[in-house]
Amino acid sequence: MLSLYLRLISARIRAQMQYKISFWLELLGFVLVTGLEFAVVAILFARIPALAGWNIAEVALLYGLTSTAFSLAEMAGRGFDAPFELMMQRGTFDIVLIRPLGSFFQVLASEFQLRRLGRTIQGLAVLGFAFARLDIDWSLARLAVLPISLISGSIIYLALIVIGATLCFWTIKTPEVINVFTFGGETVTSYPLSIYSRPLRIVFLGLVPLGIANYPAALLLLGRSDPHGLPAGLAWAAPLVAALSLCRCPGLLASWRQQVSKLRELNFR
Amino acid sequence: MRLRTAIRMNTLRLYWEIAIRSFKRATIYRTAYVAGLLTNAFFAAVRCFVYIAIFDAAESIAGYSLREAISYTWITQALISINAGWISSEIMLTVRSGDVVTDLARPWSFYGYWLSRFLGERAFSLLTRGSLTYLLGVLYFQAHVPSAGEALAFAAALLLAMLVSFALTFMVNLTAFWLVDSTGVIMLANVVLGFFSGFLIPLAFFPPALESIARILPFQAITALPAEIFLGRIAGAALIPALLLQLLWALMLTALALLVLRAAVRKVIIQGG
Repeated sequence: MLSLYLRLISARIRAQMQYKISFWLELLGFVLVTGLEFAVVAILFARIPALAGWNIAEVALLYGLTSTAFSLAEMAGRGFDAPFELMMQRGTFDIVLIRPLGSFFQVLASEFQLRRLGRTIQGLAVLGFAFARLDIDWSLARLAVLPISLISGSIIYLALIVIGATLCFWTIKTPEVINVFTFGGETVTSYPLSIYSRPLRIVFLGLVPLGIANYPAALLLLGRSDPHGLPAGLAWAAPLVAALSLCRCPGLLASWRQQVSKLRELNFR
Repeated sequence: MRLRTAIRMNTLRLYWEIAIRSFKRATIYRTAYVAGLLTNAFFAAVRCFVYIAIFDAAESIAGYSLREAISYTWITQALISINAGWISSEIMLTVRSGDVVTDLARPWSFYGYWLSRFLGERAFSLLTRGSLTYLLGVLYFQAHVPSAGEALAFAAALLLAMLVSFALTFMVNLTAFWLVDSTGVIMLANVVLGFFSGFLIPLAFFPPALESIARILPFQAITALPAEIFLGRIAGAALIPALLLQLLWALMLTALALLVLRAAVRKVIIQGG
């Protein structure tokens, strides 16, 4: 399965590389777009020393973690975005259903946007800036929490993108509202979660658990504590939360399968 | 002479009808407007929480109080309804599909046709999505409620902003005549527009050098100037130069857009003949 995935993906990348200029321009575009996101943060910090007690390097850590995670999810998961939407609108999803492979796998393998690397580069650059400025007392636990945060974060983002696609079964068009959770979630988690109102904190720790991926990890790395009493140890729960969001938590795969079987019935009738 | 006036009246009537139809067409996509409204309100609320945390450390920033920063956030999010800080790709898509040829052959001004469509749709969007977004800001974040004078000046600024925004959108979309796919150009234009129009943060927050660059560019006429007029930061005698500046940009960019159109049409004819 994995080798098949790699084969399909490398075919996608070779296809994208046919339009080299377009590829590099778009990659540069992503570096610029996301670069401006952080430029705004930097402009604000030129006016104030700290935000809720967090200095610019500390906020950069939060931003870098969430932005890099988002970029990885976008790179791998965009098959669930426009290509899937097009399949639904043109009715070519039927072809996916008659192939001897899971539909979920096929949609995942249908696209891999290497140009999103632009956002990854920018996210890693901001992380680099944060680590250069911060004096982190590195321990084994602190080293381990970094990849855990990034991987869990991208899985949760991926789950959100898939939810958007699942909604597509009803709406035919991927609803714009899903942007509130992906792009909006990225904005929310770019700042310390403690600054938001209670309902917003609950949403981004529970329903859309993006906050669990980067905020507790940052607390742990910086040795800070949350003013509302959120334990930093929650950082270790991130992989579990990520696994839950991808598999069962929002009834995601179940509803995916259910929708697929409904579609089958519809087609065979 | 009388005949000419009659024709001119009829032409105006034509554009009016296009605008009305575009307005009515927009009413069909009500759900999309509600979704857009929720998205705008969400982003505005998140930015407000950031400002609340920021202003915890400072009484005022670059002459903005917390309430002004919050009101600025809500009004700029509300202005998305007139395409402020965003360039759509509708016209480009007709160039790519070739439908543009039919539109060009019709006995009206191609520019006037799209401008009327644009204004009709934006009027609906502003009345629903825009005003309701701002209402949420007033209800939940005590955003500024403008006086009658401010509202009147804002209405004028809004109309000029739409003219500037349309001319820019039109020009960027027309690059498709040369590039076929302008997605990259539109993406880049949106980045520049979002940043320099004052959509992301008030221009006054910029470092001085960057702010003076933003003040020279036309983009501030789309978002920052109307928002500052709405908040009453530009008021009294200062209104006249601000509105004149907007008018100047509207005229200059429209003229430029028409020149680009002329070049584009020549390109079509060359390819067609």
